[in-house]
Amino acid sequence: MSVVEGAIIYSNLLVLLSMSLTITYITTSVPNFAQGSFAVFGSYIAFALFKLFEIHPYKSVPLVFILGGFLGVVTYFLVLRPLIKKEASVLILMIATLAWDLILLGFLGIFSETLGKMIGGYASRFIFTPYDFRAFGMNGIFFVSSAAILLCLFGLAVLFYKTKFGIALRASMENPQLAEVMGVNVEYTRIFSWFLSGSFSALAGALLPFKQEIVQSTGALIIVSIFAASIVGGLSSILGAILGGYLIGISETLVTFYLSKLFGTGVLVYSKLIPLVILIVVLLYIPQGLVSIRWSKWRWSRH
Amino acid sequence: MITILLWFGVYAIVAISLNIEYGYGGIPNFGRAFAILIGALAVGAIVNRIFIALTGVSGVTYSAASGFAKSKIDALISSNPAYGILILLFCVALAAILGAIFGAIFILPSAKLKSDYLAITLLAISEVSFIVSYYNTEIVGGYYGTPTPNVLAFIPGESREIAYTILMLIFAALIFLLAERLMNSPYGRLLKAMREDEDVVESFGKDVMKIRIKTVALGSSLAAIVGALYTLYAGNVSGVVNLFARVNWTFYPFLMVLLGGMANNRGVLAGTFLFVAVWRLLDQYKHEIAAVLNLPFDVNWLQYIIFGALMILVLYYRPEGLIKEQPIRTEPIKEIKSGKKV
Repeated sequence: MSVVEGAIIYSNLLVLLSMSLTITYITTSVPNFAQGSFAVFGSYIAFALFKLFEIHPYKSVPLVFILGGFLGVVTYFLVLRPLIKKEASVLILMIATLAWDLILLGFLGIFSETLGKMIGGYASRFIFTPYDFRAFGMNGIFFVSSAAILLCLFGLAVLFYKTKFGIALRASMENPQLAEVMGVNVEYTRIFSWFLSGSFSALAGALLPFKQEIVQSTGALIIVSIFAASIVGGLSSILGAILGGYLIGISETLVTFYLSKLFGTGVLVYSKLIPLVILIVVLLYIPQGLVSIRWSKWRWSRH
Repeated sequence: MITILLWFGVYAIVAISLNIEYGYGGIPNFGRAFAILIGALAVGAIVNRIFIALTGVSGVTYSAASGFAKSKIDALISSNPAYGILILLFCVALAAILGAIFGAIFILPSAKLKSDYLAITLLAISEVSFIVSYYNTEIVGGYYGTPTPNVLAFIPGESREIAYTILMLIFAALIFLLAERLMNSPYGRLLKAMREDEDVVESFGKDVMKIRIKTVALGSSLAAIVGALYTLYAGNVSGVVNLFARVNWTFYPFLMVLLGGMANNRGVLAGTFLFVAVWRLLDQYKHEIAAVLNLPFDVNWLQYIIFGALMILVLYYRPEGLIKEQPIRTEPIKEIKSGKKV
């Protein structure tokens, strides 16, 4: 796997995750700390289907997608909606998602150890790379992850701009009160956004083992990059999440790679510092994210 | 029972430090673990390096060198208890100072960020510092861990656990008294005012940023003391520097503060005790529980689910905690309550 290829695969998956985070932030205005575990949930489901029923991870993607969506909806109904009804503050909601992340970690641990007993082996850590196909001298995951992101974006575009429900969705994202007055059921749009968030994350999670090894706590490792990607994009714009995901994903991979060429492989442990530094710089200088920069202003000044 | 008391001492300090920052000051410090790490690093990275230099040992890795230095220092301590006490006090003082300095730097992003953005940033800083110190074997041995001197080496093995517990409880009591005094002073009132409305505090001529820096420096300093003490007790930095730090040193303290009652040190102590008792009992009987229920997995996973669910239930049913927040006892109020003439 060449470096650029790896960077693009990683970024594709990161974009899926940062879009998931952004979608629910827009509708529910809570940053979901359990987003990483949503993805790992997808990974373990794909692994279980593969080990128990010998369904290749690529073929189980639709099922994982739907199950992930249910996880998102369950999160909303079980954890967030009761608290929102009691008018809890954003911080309380954030603590609740942290708690939910811990619960999911517990379930993932139980699931993986039980699965290990069932298949008579070790299921706590795994990787799918040996099962990938190759085409045009590149790994299959490159094409699959790119296709996944294109399909998701195409689906979102059709949904948002060609359907009545999509218009209602956009309206309630822009201004929930006004949308409600116009007869949109904002509650439905919220539930739907949690479904999308869960399913996109699980999709990314099902594909992630083709790129890196998965353990139960992988979610905690990738959450920093997910937040960095979403915040760089502005946290409340899906376009921003896409830009941020590619910026963070590519710089995290490539910068670490070139630094390791200069200073040796010891640099690799610092790779997560890159999203953190970008995150802090963006928060301090352009807190509204990339989408808030008025590019036209720059164009004007040049002329 | 001893372990419950020991952990009660450890977590009482962490929870009080978080209560000062979050309960009173309203600062969402989702990176509490960072200050604990600073305390562990003070012992594991700085004090250890001093000892390696002093004893002149060398090893293939940093962990190995620390191990050799530890055995020499331990021998010295067991021959003369004064060295042990001195090293203990030095470690605590160093951790407190470093904790205050790094705490003050750590909170600087709050100049521009509010609530959710700030919480994410603090969590991210803390996460990344743990990832780096866990995967880099140069700083404190990373995943290999690094042995640290046993400051109570002069006490015979069987009663050492009790001695550490008493030590921890003494520190917890001192810090509790300090927190009680501070939080019932004008400074405590200022913190509560800042939590409720920063603009009002600002309009009364107070610099909110300065108060925040002071508060987090204080809280981090207390938390760093725990980091150092716990590392000395465990005899290895791996008790702090591991991948479950976010759960152990940030999430659980939040659970204790919210369970006990925000802005209420006594409530927080009650919450801490309740949490630690359940947690240690679950841990102690985990094999029995697994055997009785015929569970095919480690009970630790169940523990995560239980505490996660407990947190959500507390948030939903008792957001004010076990003991409700009480008005600050200023001198005039105390006099009125005791029936004296004012």
